[in-house]
Amino acid sequence: MENLSFDFGTTKLVSGHAHVGIVGSGDLEILIEKSTDDQRAYVEVCTSVAGHMEIWKAVLDHFFNMHPYSIHIEINDFGATPGVVLLRLAQAMEVLQDAK
Amino acid sequence: MRSSYVEISFIELNARERARNVLDSGTFREILNPFERYKSPHLSQQSIVPQSDDGVVVVRGLIHGQSAVVIAIEGGFQGGGIGEVSGAKIAGALENALHDCENGILTLPILILETGGVRLQEGNYGLLAIAEIGAAIVALRRHVPVIGIIAGMIGCYGGMSICAGLCSYLIMTKQGRLELNGPEVIEQEAGIAEFDSSDRLMIWRTVGGQQRCAVSLADMLADDSVDDINEFVRVAIQQGIPQAHRSSKVEHYLSLLARIDPSQSLDGDGLRQLWDKVGIQNSEESMRMLESKWNRNMHSGTNSRGRTWFEALAGVARQEVVGAPSVLCADGMLANENVRYIAVVPNPDNRFPRARHGEVGIDEAWAIARFVQDAIKQDAHGMKRAIVAIIDVPSQAFGYMEELLGINHACAAAVDAYASARLAGHPVIALIVGKAISGAFLAHGLQANRIIAFDDPEVMVQVMSKNSAARITRRTIAELDEAALTIPATAYDIRSFATLGALDNLIEGINTDSPESEDLERVREIVVSAIVNTRSGCTDIANRLQSAAARINRAASIRVRERLAELWN
Repeated sequence: MENLSFDFGTTKLVSGHAHVGIVGSGDLEILIEKSTDDQRAYVEVCTSVAGHMEIWKAVLDHFFNMHPYSIHIEINDFGATPGVVLLRLAQAMEVLQDAK
Repeated sequence: MRSSYVEISFIELNARERARNVLDSGTFREILNPFERYKSPHLSQQSIVPQSDDGVVVVRGLIHGQSAVVIAIEGGFQGGGIGEVSGAKIAGALENALHDCENGILTLPILILETGGVRLQEGNYGLLAIAEIGAAIVALRRHVPVIGIIAGMIGCYGGMSICAGLCSYLIMTKQGRLELNGPEVIEQEAGIAEFDSSDRLMIWRTVGGQQRCAVSLADMLADDSVDDINEFVRVAIQQGIPQAHRSSKVEHYLSLLARIDPSQSLDGDGLRQLWDKVGIQNSEESMRMLESKWNRNMHSGTNSRGRTWFEALAGVARQEVVGAPSVLCADGMLANENVRYIAVVPNPDNRFPRARHGEVGIDEAWAIARFVQDAIKQDAHGMKRAIVAIIDVPSQAFGYMEELLGINHACAAAVDAYASARLAGHPVIALIVGKAISGAFLAHGLQANRIIAFDDPEVMVQVMSKNSAARITRRTIAELDEAALTIPATAYDIRSFATLGALDNLIEGINTDSPESEDLERVREIVVSAIVNTRSGCTDIANRLQSAAARINRAASIRVRERLAELWN
C-alpha cells in the first residue's frame, strides 16, 4: 500500500460532491468535494500497488488539463489500470455536474 | 430510460444502487455516507486500502409508504467482510430500528447480504459485531418482519449466515449461496475428499438459492431482476411477522433430522425427497426415533474441560435430561438460584463424523436450542431460571453434510434460543473454560448477558483456525502473528479478547483442568453474582460497549452508533 499526494493549479470553481466506484479488484473509489483553495486542487491517493507515482501524476495531469476545477479528490485504489482511473474520474465529474 | 421489456439485473448493481432500488423512488437517504468517512481504523495498519463507507450502506426511506431501513453489504469490497465499523453500522442501524419499533414507529429492516462473514483482518471485532447483529434481529422481529436478501454472486457466509437464519424471510436468487463455512475453509479443515472447493456445480446444488428454497431453508426464489426482488419484498411485508420463525421451530427441524442417516451419502436432490416425504409428522414419534439414534451413538467418559466443569458445577456425573450425547444439560441449585447448565463435549461415536471432537454440529446446535427453549416454556409463568453455558468448543463442524442440512440454521436456532431466553428475563451466563471459536461461540455463549472466562493459555477466542485464516487472507502464519501484535482483536489468547471489553470477569489462578474445591467455590461465587447482577439489569447486551475497556478499544463501534442515532431522523 502507498499513500500519494498531488496538487494542481486550477481556474474553475465547482460546488457539490460526488462519490463513485468501489475498492474492489481492478477498481477504485473516488470522492470529490470542493477544494479549500479557490485556485488549487488537491488529490490524495491510497493505492494497493506501490511504486507508480509517475503514472498517477501523468493520469492526473491529463485529467486536470481537461477539468481545471478547484476540487479535493480522495482516491482509494485497488489496482485499477490508468484507463479505469480516467473513466472513473470522468464518471465522478459527470455525477458532480448532474448534482448541480 | 427503463424499458418495461428489459429486466434490470439486481446482482449487477452495487450495494448503494441495490438499496436505492428496494426503496420507494425519491425516498433514498443514506446515513453515514462515504463523505462522513467512517473507514476501518484497522485495515490501513495492515497495508490494506480502506473504503470510505467500510463496505456497508445504510439507507433510510420508505417501502410502500412504510418507514424502512435498508442495510446493504458491498460484496466487492473485501468480500463483504464484517469488520468493526461495517459491523457497527449494521448492528447500530438495527438497534435504531428496534428503538423506533419500541416507540410505535414500525421501521422495516431489509438486509441485503453479500458477505464472506467476519473480516479476518479484524477478527474478534467482527465476531462481537455479528453477535450484536443477531441479538438485534431476534429483538426486532417481534415487532416487524426482518427481511434478508441473498442475491449473489458472493453469497452469505460465516457468522452472517447465522444472522440470515434468524431473518423472518429469506429471499434468494439461483445465483445466491447460503452456507456457514466457505468451501475453501471446509476443504482446508476437513480435506478435499470432504469438500472440493473447485466443484462449483456441487456447491450450488448443495447451498445455492434453488436448493435452499426447495428444502425450506430459504423462503422465496427470485429471478435476478430488480422487479422480482421487489415483488418478493412486498409479499414478505404483506405476510407480516411469521407465526413461528424458522429458527424457533426446534421440534420441526429435529423431526426432519430424525430422518437423516449421516452414514449414507446424500445430495441435494436426495434431501429434497427425504424432507418432502416427512411432511408434518407426529413430532413425538420423530423425537423417539432421534433419541434412539442418539442413544446408539452414546459414548461415556471422554474427558474435556467442558465436561469437567459441567460435572463440577452441576454436581452430577451424568446428565439429567436426555438428548444428543454431545450436549450435556442438567438443572441444579446454585445458592438460591435455579440454574440450567449446558455444555458441548466430545463424543467419538457422534453420528456426524465431523463433530466428534467437541465441535458444535447440526445435532449439537439444535439440541442446545431445544434445552434452552424448553426452559423458556417451562418457566413462562414463573421464576425464570438462570442458564449457564459452559464453553469449550474448538469450532463449528466443517463438513459437506453439515452445509447440506443447514448448519447455519442450526446455529441460528441456538442463537435464537439464548437471545430469546435473555429477552424473556432468564439470566444467561457464559463461562468460557476452554476454546470459544467462531460459529460455535456465536451459537453457544455469545448471546449471554454476561461472559466470564478463565485466564489460562488454553482459553481462546477467535473466528477461524490459523491455517484457514492464512489460506483465506493469503498471508503466512508468521504474518498473522505479527498482525496480532498490533491488532489484539486478531490474536487468539483470552487476554487480548479481554481488551475488547466484552468480558464481565477474567478469573485468574484457577486450576482449570482439575479444579479443587476452593476453585469451584470461587467460580460459583462469581457466577452467582453475575446472575444476581443480571436480574436487576437490562435484557440486551449493550453493556458490552459500556465497559471501560470497550470505551477505549471499541471506540469506533461506539462512535458509529452515536453518529447513526444523530442522523437517523
